[in-house]
Amino acid sequence: MAIRGARGGSIPVMKRVVALIPLFSLLFLFFTSVAFAQVQVRLRAIHASDAASGVDPSLRDLHKELGSLFSFTSYRLMKDETLNLSLNQPAKISSREGRITLETTLVGLHRGVAEVRIRVAREGSEILNTQVRLFPGRTVLVGGPRHTRGGVVIYALHARF
Amino acid sequence: MKDFCSSVSKLLEKYFDQEATGKEKLLVEGHLKDCPACQDALRSMEELRTLIKTPVEEAIQKEDFPWVWQKIERDFRLQEKPTWWQSLRSWLDVSPLFKKRVWIPAVATLVVLLFITAQIFFKKIPSYSGASVVEYVESETNNVMVYDLEKAKVTVIWLFEEPEEEVSPS
Repeated sequence: MAIRGARGGSIPVMKRVVALIPLFSLLFLFFTSVAFAQVQVRLRAIHASDAASGVDPSLRDLHKELGSLFSFTSYRLMKDETLNLSLNQPAKISSREGRITLETTLVGLHRGVAEVRIRVAREGSEILNTQVRLFPGRTVLVGGPRHTRGGVVIYALHARF
Repeated sequence: MKDFCSSVSKLLEKYFDQEATGKEKLLVEGHLKDCPACQDALRSMEELRTLIKTPVEEAIQKEDFPWVWQKIERDFRLQEKPTWWQSLRSWLDVSPLFKKRVWIPAVATLVVLLFITAQIFFKKIPSYSGASVVEYVESETNNVMVYDLEKAKVTVIWLFEEPEEEVSPS
């Protein structure tokens, strides 16, 4: 049971199989683990105020929750981004004026749970630091920072698995 | 007799080369007893063979063919070394696997890997209704409130940021 090598030598087939199986297994596990260490997070920045009235049509899915939780008369979508978060790789979004920055970092990923650290900074100074678990179908709203034109900014985070 | 002799002489070479069948052998040997012409013909064949065979055997005995081995060794040395790509292809050649039973452990490993992968892909997502969403929350400058709306599956983290103080002219 031997294969003739290029130089006429013989390489036992079993040796090669035994060497290749762990190699392919490791590669398989590596690529699957890398693939699983990513999560998509939909992040929407909303300007909530009493200056006007109405809800942005693109916030229809949050309309009910926003209406029951807060007493603002106007909800306007400022930003809608889908972030591909990788482990320990921070992703930042800033408001148009650049005064408020939200930084999200995936710090852990288990079956159907994404652990995300959220930092909110105003003009570079951290005003909020939190860590949340994002489950399928759950929305996390981070709100309260003042908007320059009055009202507040609300960030809505939703993980996609 | 002459016709019979000519028909036997055809078998004589076969007999001489020991290729004749038993029946042919008996026929030739019976004829040789009474036919001096065929006896002479057989003797001539033996002489001719001796004449050719002897010098060839002597020459072979004298020759030890060292140049043949030298040539073979030189050919081995001169044989072109395979490139790394040829070596790799040779190493990765899996065609013998289809002939042998070595694929059994490979299939077993594949089944185990598929089983593990299936666990990851098809496992039902557990319910997290009772689990806490907010692991921690901190703010050095402002008060923070956390509120869970279980029915709507919404968690609110609210930062109570004070309104900017208006600077009054002095």
